[in-house]
Amino acid sequence: YRHPWDTVIKAAMRKYPNPMNPCVVGVDVLDRSLDNQGRLHSHRLLSTEWGLPSIVKAILGTSRTLTYIEEHSVVDPVKKKMELCSTNITLTNLVSVDERLVYTPHPENPEKTVLTQEAIITVKGISLSSYLESLMASTISSNARKGRDALEWVISKLNTELEELKSTREGMKPAMAAASTEK
Amino acid sequence: AVGEACTELKREYDQCFNRWFAEKFLKGESAGDPCGQLFKRYQLCVQKAIKEKDIPIEGLEFMGPSKGKTENSS
Repeated sequence: YRHPWDTVIKAAMRKYPNPMNPCVVGVDVLDRSLDNQGRLHSHRLLSTEWGLPSIVKAILGTSRTLTYIEEHSVVDPVKKKMELCSTNITLTNLVSVDERLVYTPHPENPEKTVLTQEAIITVKGISLSSYLESLMASTISSNARKGRDALEWVISKLNTELEELKSTREGMKPAMAAASTEK
Repeated sequence: AVGEACTELKREYDQCFNRWFAEKFLKGESAGDPCGQLFKRYQLCVQKAIKEKDIPIEGLEFMGPSKGKTENSS
């Protein structure tokens, strides 16, 4: 990311909803606390609608497509490191998707941020496992791309909000100006 | 939000949190979280919704009925 770490982290905290990940329909904070090293721990619940192709739904034998994901994040403002770990807590009898993301400032350029992302997919006990694995892998890698686009989107949105705030403060016109033209 | 009833509470908490996060926490001033009360109200709502929807989250402590509202936040 061509943005400093602070900017990226602010956006990462407010990532959802965004147009690139329309599947994430809800985010809730389950718990949040500061540890004795000043790091912020957040425990969140994400609700996602997969939009699985109907054949997959038929095989899975479920019409429920709402999946829940638990996410733990730790933000260290001194070391400038944000780590997120997430795992699905529904559909666990079929598949486990464990993701880990780490945001740190670029070691050579503090105006940039580095994101390291990894996902471990485990598919359990279905004969279509290799199909599902590749489906999940490509979904996850395209989601990773969308995730990066999503953060860029949030960052520019936050910047626009800041600009609008500045311009309303500077350009306050008296309300009477419009009314006084009528006679 | 998990329960529709919690959406407004969440919005209020999120606004408070996002401001504190950007303006205090990331700048190294983490003391004094002003969002404690908002968070408690929002959390109660969420925990109730999770229970109702039977979402399998381990180790979630349910806050019992509070003894009384404290005026000062920690």
